[in-house]
Amino acid sequence: MEQVIINLLNGLSYGMVLFLIASGMSVVMGAMNIINLAHGVLYMVGGYVGWTIAVKLGAPFALGLLTGGLAAGFTGLVIERGFLRHLYRQTNEQVLLTFGFVYILTNLSLWVWGGWPRMPFTAKVLSGSIEILGKAYPKARLAIIFIGFVLAIVLWWLQDRTRVGAMVRAGMDNKEMTMGLGINLERVFSLVFFVASCIAGVAGVLGAQLLGVYNALGLEILLLALIVIIVGGVGSVQGALIGGILIGVIDAFGRALFPKLAMFTMYFTMIIILLVRPSGLLGRRV
Amino acid sequence: METAKQETITQPEGSQLVTFAPHVAGVVILVILPAFLSSYIQSVMTRFLIFALFAMGYNLAFGCAGLISLGHAAYFGAGGYAVAVLKLHYGSNLFWVGAPVGILVATLIAAIFGIIALRVSGIYFLLVTFALGQLLYSVAWNVSWLNTPGMQGIAGLSLPSFGIAGFTLNTTSFYYLVLLVSLICFYLLFRMVNSPFGRALVGIREGEARMRSLGYNTWLYKYIAFVISGAFAGIAGVLFGYYNYLISPTHLGVGTSFLPMCMAIIGGVGTFLGPVIGAAIIIFVELFASIMTPERWPLILGGLFVLAIMFAREGIGVYLWRLWNKVSYHYGSIKG
Repeated sequence: MEQVIINLLNGLSYGMVLFLIASGMSVVMGAMNIINLAHGVLYMVGGYVGWTIAVKLGAPFALGLLTGGLAAGFTGLVIERGFLRHLYRQTNEQVLLTFGFVYILTNLSLWVWGGWPRMPFTAKVLSGSIEILGKAYPKARLAIIFIGFVLAIVLWWLQDRTRVGAMVRAGMDNKEMTMGLGINLERVFSLVFFVASCIAGVAGVLGAQLLGVYNALGLEILLLALIVIIVGGVGSVQGALIGGILIGVIDAFGRALFPKLAMFTMYFTMIIILLVRPSGLLGRRV
Repeated sequence: METAKQETITQPEGSQLVTFAPHVAGVVILVILPAFLSSYIQSVMTRFLIFALFAMGYNLAFGCAGLISLGHAAYFGAGGYAVAVLKLHYGSNLFWVGAPVGILVATLIAAIFGIIALRVSGIYFLLVTFALGQLLYSVAWNVSWLNTPGMQGIAGLSLPSFGIAGFTLNTTSFYYLVLLVSLICFYLLFRMVNSPFGRALVGIREGEARMRSLGYNTWLYKYIAFVISGAFAGIAGVLFGYYNYLISPTHLGVGTSFLPMCMAIIGGVGTFLGPVIGAAIIIFVELFASIMTPERWPLILGGLFVLAIMFAREGIGVYLWRLWNKVSYHYGSIKG
């Protein structure tokens, strides 16, 4: 029983990181029809900056979260304003461009931070553990779950209960009509892209406590984000949340129950979802 | 494709000599020149041909049918792995065994993945093919049968043998083998693209609902295009296995999947020869960059993508084609 709860918590904390990385990408994809393959690299940039601030400089962890998020956010903003803005509705070009940024940012981070991988670290505030059913459980993972849920609620509120969210949803349904109503969609989209990139950076700092940060992380985490999006469905925060938690929990139980097949459990989940429900669990339309 | 056709029609009569100049140049560069070059350059040319073949096969799904696949390395790598496993576990290096087995394995995998991936379309198709490609990557990484003991991937491959006593391939003859295979595939693909099947694919890309209402089974067309394109990736993979002496999980991964796609886009998606031009650009930039700054080579490649997208969005091949048309029109009219 304890083992089940421990695995569930492990899965939830991992799933929260997956949710955070996937949510931004999913909303950008659904709302703006932009496929941003550099999203995983933004996560990595956030992780590296967060590591530098929180571990190397020893600043408070919250500052690490903030700077990591902002660094990724502004990198994303440069990509969107400078380049992607000219490529709306041109999927091929978006793929090539954003993959070019994967190469560029990966190589630049190799330049700045070197090739050695950063081990998973625990912030001072979050070190130590809490007793759960007689077993010690690290505080850091619980904090990730908590922060993840808080951000999920904030994002859902932004999406469903605010004016900007309404504009985004309207733009998703009918871009021309929305613009005809006098809404500056381009500015709204830039904002969405910026927030999505920030969330990716925050996810990078949080995820660094579980996975560490290393150079190949950008593509690995992108793959996980895509699986989450496929499972959860494109275009909504809720979809990414369901997908992230599901994949995280399945992965945790897979590791515990069949260690040899652990790498494939999430692929199996994805393939089953695709065969049964191609649009994902909470997908809009495919 | 469309622009290409229209622009050839405007060409005046009597420019035969000029018209065939690029063909002659192509024959000279590909057939005659390599025999006199160093084996290093020959091996770079072989690499170029293999990737040109990979990119052209990819472009059948990508350019014609509009299927944005980011998992074609799965079929490419499968061809390579088939050759490698034959060598590692069965000690066979015969081309007559390796090539059919490699193509068969690649085609089978493409047939299975196609069923899963074609449940969705558009960007989602890209996501699914990407994830499926990475699935094979982790299989190759984890299954010990697919690895030489003590390393990731299978090493110790060699150029194929033909089972003819006294005849062994060297770099030069292997280059001509690859050239021959590429030309055959080139011809097959050319016929396919210009057949009713190829036209139907373009129709599906431009308006799937319309083609469906015309009575075409669009799913089947896309599926066949995808599987054929996977088979060509398999051929390229077989040749690559022989060429590279080493096949590793990287060759199944997204980095490799991405190559034919960017070759096609940089060269010009809608053109038949675009992917070849793209392959030439990528392979030679790679060669140049890896000599100058091996550390910063991804940076240069990434920068090239960004520049190509921002300033040559239609594809460099299309620009070259237009330039060529201007030249041939100009000189053709003087002669005529």
